[in-house]
Amino acid sequence: MTDAAIALTKTKPRPRRQWAPYLLILPSLLYLAVFFAWPMTRAIRLAVWDETALLTLRQEAAAGSAAAGVLPQGAAVSLLDRRSNLAAEADLSGASLTETWFFVQGLDPGGNAVAGWAPESRIRVRTTDAAGAAIGGTVRPKLGAGADPLTSLYSEPNEGSAIAGKLEGSAAVSIGEQAVLEVWFLIEGEGEGERISGWAPSRVLQVYGDGVSGRIDRGDTGQLTRAYIQRMLNDRFFRPAFYTTLLLIVLIIPVQFALAIIMALVIQARLKFNTLFLAIFAIPLAASDLAVGILWYAIFTQSGYLNSILQALGLIAAPNAFLTADTRYWILIAIWLAEVWRATSIVMVIVVSGLQAISQEVLEAAEVFGATLWQRLRHVILPLLKPSLQVALILRTILALQVFAVVIALSGGDVVTVLANETYRQYYTLRNMNVAAAYAGFILLISMFSAIIYLRMVRSSEEASA
Amino acid sequence: MTALNSTQVSAEMARLRARARRRMLLSRVFTYLVGILIAIWVLAPLWFIASMALTTPETVRSYPKSVLPFIPFSFETMRFFLQSRGIVPGVINSVLVAVITLILSTLIAAPAGYATSRYIFRGRDAFRLSILAVRAFPVVILSIPLAVTFINLGIFDQVYSLALMHTALTLPTTVLVIGSVFASIPYELEEAAQVFGCTPAQAFRRVVLPLVLPGIAAAAIFTFVMSWNEVFAATVLTVQNRTLPAQVLVSLQQSPEPYKFAGGFFMLLPSVIFIFVIRKYLFNMWGQITK
Repeated sequence: MTDAAIALTKTKPRPRRQWAPYLLILPSLLYLAVFFAWPMTRAIRLAVWDETALLTLRQEAAAGSAAAGVLPQGAAVSLLDRRSNLAAEADLSGASLTETWFFVQGLDPGGNAVAGWAPESRIRVRTTDAAGAAIGGTVRPKLGAGADPLTSLYSEPNEGSAIAGKLEGSAAVSIGEQAVLEVWFLIEGEGEGERISGWAPSRVLQVYGDGVSGRIDRGDTGQLTRAYIQRMLNDRFFRPAFYTTLLLIVLIIPVQFALAIIMALVIQARLKFNTLFLAIFAIPLAASDLAVGILWYAIFTQSGYLNSILQALGLIAAPNAFLTADTRYWILIAIWLAEVWRATSIVMVIVVSGLQAISQEVLEAAEVFGATLWQRLRHVILPLLKPSLQVALILRTILALQVFAVVIALSGGDVVTVLANETYRQYYTLRNMNVAAAYAGFILLISMFSAIIYLRMVRSSEEASA
Repeated sequence: MTALNSTQVSAEMARLRARARRRMLLSRVFTYLVGILIAIWVLAPLWFIASMALTTPETVRSYPKSVLPFIPFSFETMRFFLQSRGIVPGVINSVLVAVITLILSTLIAAPAGYATSRYIFRGRDAFRLSILAVRAFPVVILSIPLAVTFINLGIFDQVYSLALMHTALTLPTTVLVIGSVFASIPYELEEAAQVFGCTPAQAFRRVVLPLVLPGIAAAAIFTFVMSWNEVFAATVLTVQNRTLPAQVLVSLQQSPEPYKFAGGFFMLLPSVIFIFVIRKYLFNMWGQITK
């Protein structure tokens, strides 16, 4: 047992009010809930939930009106009518079509003073004040014979409201208040086999040049979708990334564990300079994966150390190009060595801690009875180390699934790619959060799957031996 | 007859003992050899990158490379790297993020570490297990939704928002390390202090605190190194205010080799030194976890 472990078993827990420990762990729990559990569920949601999948059409051109039906995002629609509506400042976006309405006062054909709202399309602004705001203008004359030659003024900035009066073309008006309105369209489209029509604000629509057709740009209601996962599966980098990730795990982990156990046995042999050996073995623990990637790049690059040494030994005549698209296997070997170099020390630390917890008498007894190193390893050390090895195995597999910067440093991220790198590519290069989240979720899935398998494996072998 | 037998036996014994001693010596030499080989395997790449970073850029580009390092010794390559665009701000951002992470993480984790080592309460094991599970979850999956949230909240691309993320990453480890630090101080010491007339608070401040401070400092340093090394979240969560690893990563493909090597060396140096200082506590921590 380590000193700490002995101390823990000896420590008498403080017999005090029992809410104290909960109070003490509360900050950590809250923090992890906000910055860990919540983002985790958000990520899964991003991967499977399309927030703009469906658009609810309204019976009237108003946000609060009853639903007339639902059309999917991307549906082609025809525009049947338009109307302007007061919209909250927050609802107006760059995609909104807007219309300004003026509150105007003037004399109707009968000479009576009338006042009411009219759209900017009916009023020509002639005078503005110092700040540039419209203060006066004229009514635009209506062209064409068929229509009502008079321009209606509405009691509210809305074509649906009551008509407050009418003005003739070219009549002079003074302009008071202004209101910015959003244009709503009465649209009709195909939804679930039937024609559905209803009102929708312009901000969710894309209106084509002809003015009578368009498509639904984004919905306002979410829906479960397989689209992002499907796009991930169809991504041309998905399979290479998946297979390379698995291959790297299979290549790295056994070597790592063998090396870590050898390191631990060297430490256990209690040589002179034992602490020095331990310190040296633990150095890579601190190294960032990016730095380690660069470090091995220095060795494998064309003018690097590997070529220099091989040439100095007379094994090659000219430098090899290792890290090119034609020599993928060399890139894999470089990544493999870099990861073994970097991450073995954490396994070593876990194994050494585990070995220290095994009582020294047990190990010495096996030695006294003449067991060879292999016998001791096979029948004494490894079985006793099983809990430590299990933790190390789970941790290492999950961390190996996240190998990222080493791969970028050694391959540029295209020739050899891994799942974490594809997450990064989807997010950073392709700006596709949802597919990135699908990749991240996939990594999570394999992580949990491998952890469960390891736990099962250890348990079933225990049952078998019992 | 018997005398002859006994000399035979003792001769046999001596031979056996000599053979055992020889085997012992052999295995000892073999162990040294293995240890030295592994030490070379660990140290050689560091030697290479150090000799690349501490020489002139011309030497870095030359081929074949000399295995003897630092010829000619020069800070020219390091200066070239540090004068590149975005590096000095990157270093400043990295240090800021790491320091904020260190402070936040230690403040939040210390009470939890104390609770898990000093109290037995319902849910303690569940808490420790879930902390360990958090440690094992992929960073990758956290970064994407946090980026979306930070954009919506208008705190994207800020030093402190990245520090919030890094705190979530380092918190579990910090809780475990600080827990093992408190566990290594016997409760009897606190009790004794109280017997001699200290209040519990005084006992904690006068007796426990001085003893655990080095360990907590070690945990803080470990937190600093984890934040300093982190690349993925830093690259995803920053655009203008890049940390050093994020800056090096995004400019890696377009950079000349002297820049890369100097950058790698510069990132390695502080963390290797820091971890070397606190290595003792890491073993304590893992001893606790795998128990």
